[in-house]
Amino acid sequence: MAASTSRPLEYLEGLPGTTFNKLYQQPSTALAIFRRMLPDLAKCFVMALLYLKDPLPMADLELWVNAESRKQRDNAISILGRLHILQSKLSDEKVRTYVVTDPFATSLRQALTGSADTLSFGVLSNTPDEYKISIDFLDDYARRQWEAVLGYMVGTSAFEQRGPRDGASLSEGVKQLLQAGHLVELRGRSVDITKDGFGFVLQDVNTQVWHILILYVQTAEAIGMDSVEVLSFLFLLSSLELGRSYEKKHLTPDQVRTLSGLADFGIVYQESPEATQFYPTRLATTLTSDSSALSNPVTGSMGPAGQPGSSGSGFIIIETNYRLYAYTSSPLQISLISLFTNLKYRFPNLVTGKVTRQSVRRAIEMGITADQIISYLLTHAHPQMRKHNAGHSTSNTGGVPPSVLPPTVTDQIRLWQLERDRLRATAGFLFKDFTNFAEYQAPCQYAAEVGVLVWKSDRKRMFFVTRHEQVAAFLKNRK
Amino acid sequence: MADSDEEYVGDVTEDEDDFPVARNDRTRSGKRKQRGGAEWELSRTWETLVEGADGTISSTVEGLLEAGKRKRLLKDTTPLQRGIIRHVILILDLSQSMSEKDLRPTRYLLTLRYAQEFVREFFEQNPISQLGVLGLRDGLALRVSDMSGNPTEHLTAIQSLKIQDPKGLPSLQNGLEMARGALFHTPSHGTREVLVIFGSLLSSDPGDIHHTINTLIGDKVRVRIVGLAAQVAICRELCTRTNGGDETAYGVALNEQHFRELMMDVTTPPASYSQKQSASSLLMMGFPSRTVEARPSLCACHSKPSRGGYLCSRCGSKVCSLPAECPSCGLTLILSTHLARSYHHLFPLMNWAEVLWRQASRSSACFACGLSFPVVPPEDQWQVTETHAKGMSVSSRYECITCHNHFCIDCDLFAHEVVHNCPGCQSNSVGASHNESDMPDRMDTTV
Amino acid sequence: MNSVDASEHYELGAIDLAPSLLTVVIDTNPHAWAALEDSLPLSKAVANILVFINAHLACNYANEVAVVASHSQKAAWLYPVPNSTSDREGDITMNANGAPAQMNKYRPFRVVEEQVTRRLKDLMDSTSSDDLKGNTSTMLAGALTLVLSHINRRTIAWAEEHGGASLEDAADSGAGSGANRYSASNDDERLQSRILIVSVSGSSDSAHQYIPVMNSIFACQRLQIPIDVCKLSGDAVFLQQACDATKGIYMALSEPRGLLQYLMMAFLPDQRSRRHLVLPTREDVDFRAACFCHRRVVNIGFVCSICLSIFCEAPPGGACLTCGTELDIGEYDVKPALMKRKKKKKKPANGTSAAGTPVSTPTPGP
Repeated sequence: MAASTSRPLEYLEGLPGTTFNKLYQQPSTALAIFRRMLPDLAKCFVMALLYLKDPLPMADLELWVNAESRKQRDNAISILGRLHILQSKLSDEKVRTYVVTDPFATSLRQALTGSADTLSFGVLSNTPDEYKISIDFLDDYARRQWEAVLGYMVGTSAFEQRGPRDGASLSEGVKQLLQAGHLVELRGRSVDITKDGFGFVLQDVNTQVWHILILYVQTAEAIGMDSVEVLSFLFLLSSLELGRSYEKKHLTPDQVRTLSGLADFGIVYQESPEATQFYPTRLATTLTSDSSALSNPVTGSMGPAGQPGSSGSGFIIIETNYRLYAYTSSPLQISLISLFTNLKYRFPNLVTGKVTRQSVRRAIEMGITADQIISYLLTHAHPQMRKHNAGHSTSNTGGVPPSVLPPTVTDQIRLWQLERDRLRATAGFLFKDFTNFAEYQAPCQYAAEVGVLVWKSDRKRMFFVTRHEQVAAFLKNRK
Repeated sequence: MADSDEEYVGDVTEDEDDFPVARNDRTRSGKRKQRGGAEWELSRTWETLVEGADGTISSTVEGLLEAGKRKRLLKDTTPLQRGIIRHVILILDLSQSMSEKDLRPTRYLLTLRYAQEFVREFFEQNPISQLGVLGLRDGLALRVSDMSGNPTEHLTAIQSLKIQDPKGLPSLQNGLEMARGALFHTPSHGTREVLVIFGSLLSSDPGDIHHTINTLIGDKVRVRIVGLAAQVAICRELCTRTNGGDETAYGVALNEQHFRELMMDVTTPPASYSQKQSASSLLMMGFPSRTVEARPSLCACHSKPSRGGYLCSRCGSKVCSLPAECPSCGLTLILSTHLARSYHHLFPLMNWAEVLWRQASRSSACFACGLSFPVVPPEDQWQVTETHAKGMSVSSRYECITCHNHFCIDCDLFAHEVVHNCPGCQSNSVGASHNESDMPDRMDTTV
Repeated sequence: MNSVDASEHYELGAIDLAPSLLTVVIDTNPHAWAALEDSLPLSKAVANILVFINAHLACNYANEVAVVASHSQKAAWLYPVPNSTSDREGDITMNANGAPAQMNKYRPFRVVEEQVTRRLKDLMDSTSSDDLKGNTSTMLAGALTLVLSHINRRTIAWAEEHGGASLEDAADSGAGSGANRYSASNDDERLQSRILIVSVSGSSDSAHQYIPVMNSIFACQRLQIPIDVCKLSGDAVFLQQACDATKGIYMALSEPRGLLQYLMMAFLPDQRSRRHLVLPTREDVDFRAACFCHRRVVNIGFVCSICLSIFCEAPPGGACLTCGTELDIGEYDVKPALMKRKKKKKKPANGTSAAGTPVSTPTPGP
């Protein structure tokens, strides 16, 4: 979850408080943010506080959490604070208390009870279509569009031949967006994928969609669209139902513009830009799901193209001897795999190859990281591998958690990366010049508990953190 | 008991001739178990495969899978009188032969792991029973843990064996004598059982083991053996004679899986053979409530300070865990939940019946979980599909004979193996009252 | 620096967190609800529970819910309704043509709400006064069994979809190994199920269901499914024991009006979050047993060694009332009459060795 939430979370955190105020007016937005952005513990806090009349004293909240889980608690509270959901106040009796901020609380309550008359969850279209749009059709549409986008990035030649025939055409808007996000670069007439782009294509679909959406919102601001409207529309999309059509007439002009932009990515479907209704595809409706919910037909059929009936999303088997078997005939997937694998044979529905030191080094030189390779293998692991390793792990009573991929392979891929990669840059803040050890130790410990501490040196009385707000607040409180 | 001797002799001579029988008659589970490995080598699984109408074997394979699930279920559900209060000695072979690697990782390590699982499962199933563990090593019997009702003691004792190596020769006689000594004082209302995990093909004994067998019979000790190598005649004799002629008490493990099954079978309380073997009696027991004190105090059982605990209902001493015997007044302290845990052995859920296509149209989905059943085909196809493996329902429906609801195979398994309730009977007051009135009747049949 | 270390990869596997399945058993015993009419009528309680269910669904996209009513004469599904796919379709189209006001509700919430209310209404309508007359109890055992079957089905389906704990492997594992199959060790990868019982009936009503209820409780314990109990009125000994055995939460509400807040605060966190929270625990669980002969609650009782029935006094004639076995009861019954003062000091040792399980006396070797 951590990996896929981070990007939208980072973006949202950067927004000013007033934007949040506007965003939280919509129950659908409140619900989506609640579901998607918060860790488990934070969800518990919000729900517990939601129907409380009086603010909850800070001490009570601390009592509620186990002593061993302080780190998780602080993390949860810090995220809630950054998203402007939880506010700490001084009550009349000078007790620090927590309360869920207002537009959010009201909206979330409305979402749960369905009380308000805000039409926040979309308006179903009543006019029957002349063509029945089936869920299969939508899945197929979404898959084609999305594969076309990825194919464009990777530059699969086979794909470009196939593209027009499948009817998946890329609009200029899509291409511009990809360039704006530095995922691809235009060199003359040819399209070159960047390092970011390689990272992007190896992610799972859900993360990719979020990446694109955030890019979209960012560029929308640049061309004078209201980012709040666009954002709340995105969250609205995530709460719609697959296979049903929705009315366009309740949308604002900016949102209608967004709609046609998203249609190019296959996130929504509309028959024509002039149509009065639109259909969300599975890419949209699973936006607020965790990555675990992703074994849906879209990702499933991304792999073995043309076999939508196959269950599960995985098609890759990797053995402890680094041999890799991929049950796919999709040129896109094959070219993705070939990024870090030496492919040997190709059969109608199967390619085999071997992950070698050279192939991984080649990938790393292109800017792909070992983590990306491993997470790609993990998300696309064949159900047999999951099954086998889960079954294996039940008999293994040792403390090692079960891993789907053979540990030797994942370790080795990382080691191959380490051969090249000995430095890693982390942006952050250095705290130094503490007058005495005690003064140094307390904030340092606090930073470690909050989970922002990266490095420390007791001797030099210095420590380095990824974000400074809380530590600064901590230091202020101490004085 | 006396005649069991002759029966044993006859049996061995018969052994060779018996094999074809065991092979052809695959469903006679009684025979299967007793023959152990022999019939496995002769079973021809490929012969049972039949090509389906579409030229593939997938339908047969699916049928076999389902039949396999169900086979385990079709155990006898006659409510037998069972020995709920058990006294069991687990004897582990710790001799040289256990270092063989035919069972992974080694016989020794696998046995220890399964022994721990066995201890857990045993106390799960028999909370008011007692267990002790012995080992056979270097021709001696070795006391691993004393008779007690506390699983953790046994688990730690078995765990500590892992760092030692198997050594020397085993002596079955020494082990049995020590077990007999440990069981000698146990009250007559409980069972006396010995479970031996035996990996060797020999027993190096100081005296005549037949003499020991006779004393075991005299003391009403029942011996069950799980062999890891091959059948050993003396083991067979031992089991047969101490179990009143029942040969199923001796099993030889075919593989890891089978080994585990054989051990776990022992966790089910054994049926009592006759009134005289276990005298029934009325036991006085205390049902304490849990207390939590403001200050820690010492518990009477381990003299360790603790805040929570149970107070003996007779003398008020504090014990820290149940079931236990009050250290000061000797009253057995137990939770009513412990007793309730054994009820499903006493009132087993009846096996469900297969449903033919004729009656299948009554239902379209499983009553409990809502899984859709296959649609009933036209009448002329009924015959074609009704040639499936035994124990499996052609229509994938299974019917509870009390409430007449239909269930799927997974719910069938789940109801019989885990919950021990019928979802249909319990969900309807008509069924429930029926069921309830049934119970005394069923009990009566056992007496 | 540490993060570049290769040992990090173990954390990767834990990213995929399984969703949780919340199953709610609503005790709809009309007698008990009638008594609660003043403080919390059923309709209001159901509304509160629905908000709670929505909150659960809101927590994770893949979270699931199931609701069973434990009525006075039967247990019935409220959501999802088995065996009614066509019914459901009709439901949706009906709503699509309905008022646009419906659109203020997130669709999954709406579906649950509509089905639960409709089925509950059907259930109430189908309850005749005859059903109520002789029957003041609730079909808790049935409801629990249904819920468990559903959980079983969902767990299997989920494992199949996600390739978690495998089925075929489990099916291969033998007859006695049910435990292995059902208590998979990798907790985070399984579907997280839990049961919430909103109970209003007292314990004496459900005494005849003792054995089936206990069977379900042990099944839960084995499957590591916590049973949470929210008790609105009455006090049920079984349910306390159920929570204790399955590590669930037992709460008897002193103020039923505050149901929603209690639900949100105590019962919403799933198993994963509960690890981090200090949960309301009940310290004094009533473990006393009720005797089979007079339904008296006893501290010390007599237990038949054959069928484990509990009696508060030695049954007349020495025959067990349940199984009819002739029991050897001499020592207890005659004790006050026969013993003389002098002997009394010796006797207890004798008496107890016959009474209970034996002491682990170390015995000499062969």
